[in-house]
Amino acid sequence: MVEVFPVILRFAVCVLFSPFILGVIGKTKAFFAGKQGPPLLQLYYDISKLIQKGSVYSRTTTWIFRAAPLVSWAAVLIASLLIPLGGLKAPLQFAGDVILFAYLLALARFFTILAAMDTGSSFEGMGASREAAFSCLSEAALFLNFATLVVLSKSISLSRMITECSWDSWVRLGPSFILIIVSYFIILLVENARIPIDDPATHLELTMIHEVMVLDHSGPDFAFILYAGAIKLFVLGGVLVTFLIPFQSRNVVLNTVILCAAMTGLALAIGVVESAMARLRLNRVPSFIIGSFVLALFGLIIALSRA
Amino acid sequence: MMINNGLDTALAAIVILAICLLGSSRLGLIIKLFALQSLVVSAIPFLLGGDLGIHKIIIAAGTFLLKVVFIPSMLFWAVRHVSIRRDTPSLLGVSLSLLLAGFLVGLSFFLAAQFPLVKITFSDLLIPSAFSTLFIGFLLLISRNKAITQVVGYLVMENGIVLFGFLLLETTPLVVELGIFLDIFVGVFIMGIFINHIQNEFDHTDISQLTALKG
Repeated sequence: MVEVFPVILRFAVCVLFSPFILGVIGKTKAFFAGKQGPPLLQLYYDISKLIQKGSVYSRTTTWIFRAAPLVSWAAVLIASLLIPLGGLKAPLQFAGDVILFAYLLALARFFTILAAMDTGSSFEGMGASREAAFSCLSEAALFLNFATLVVLSKSISLSRMITECSWDSWVRLGPSFILIIVSYFIILLVENARIPIDDPATHLELTMIHEVMVLDHSGPDFAFILYAGAIKLFVLGGVLVTFLIPFQSRNVVLNTVILCAAMTGLALAIGVVESAMARLRLNRVPSFIIGSFVLALFGLIIALSRA
Repeated sequence: MMINNGLDTALAAIVILAICLLGSSRLGLIIKLFALQSLVVSAIPFLLGGDLGIHKIIIAAGTFLLKVVFIPSMLFWAVRHVSIRRDTPSLLGVSLSLLLAGFLVGLSFFLAAQFPLVKITFSDLLIPSAFSTLFIGFLLLISRNKAITQVVGYLVMENGIVLFGFLLLETTPLVVELGIFLDIFVGVFIMGIFINHIQNEFDHTDISQLTALKG
């Protein structure tokens, strides 16, 4: 029987803390640029303001356009229930939930893409096609990472896969552990449309991918899209952080504090990467993702040769 | 077999650096990556474990001096001299050559499993990494247009052979390794002169154009 309090706490952390991560990334980037930057809680302000506004719908759009923000928000929120976050166990776990996890994220993306095409704008269609092309590649790399974890942990449940291969056992796992961490970090950047792949700060530029798809959304719809993006970053980052947190205590509250600190650390790391790197030219992006695919493949081969 | 994590990580790093080389097109970056790879290779003898004989120290120092200091500085000189900064994209394209590299890594693990050479005492990754580095170096050598990148491809291949050599470190006489060092030294020296002459003669170092008639 699952205890109720840890589950509620987990859910609350996920819902309430995730916009803060993006604030930390923004502050880090502002620090490197020598600017003041937006406040840490900017995304909370944005979301609450957008919720109070009304939405504008184009006459060409259908119900898909209205459903998409909610569907993607709900999908990533359900995905967050499948992963262990630090010492907080996943409330939902069964054999093969890793596939559900990957496809819940894919469902969220699928609806964003559909909504973008639903507007009938060629500009958004272009973004949708880019998003679809790049996510195909990154999904393959993501599954290779998971396959490595399956081989290392001999389990196909996400919770066991992640917790069995944690920091203290890396001595046993060797180089494939480092390889999948690097590869997964690249996937994290791709999936969340962060800098070497896509620049979340530029609007109305012909080279962008994710931002262009959501241009037509307004008001509460846009709030849900921003929120879903923040939760997605939190979920995918949570997997990495759970991997790297060296210890877990028995105290649930302490675990939560450690988790939040670790997530902030990850946000700092992403901010540093974004400040240090320039966005890749669009035709170099597939090579970048395939690079992460090859890293994951190498990790898998090593894991298989040891198994 | 005991697990030697430092050695495993270093071997993985060598292969990863070879893959990075395959993915980059700036000549300066390519030379730096090669120097870094050679640095890791020169550290391998110390990670092998066992007693630290004069043999190991000479191999490590030789690799370091030749491939981390001398050859990169010579290649940098050549790049400055012929004033080129970028290689043209490889014949295969970056994505395809990266995927091929992944395939070759898999192939090397398969080959290594069939390799009844010697009883390996330190790491089961040594032979696969040697094979992978060799193959990826070869891929770099055949898929690029610029002479300097081809030289680097040759040197990466050579790094793979050196990894093989570490396998037999205890049994090969020092003279053999010194002979190999001399070979590379002369080889790179000659290639450096070649690149220079190609540049002087044709005003570029694009090998693919050498088959066309001049004029």
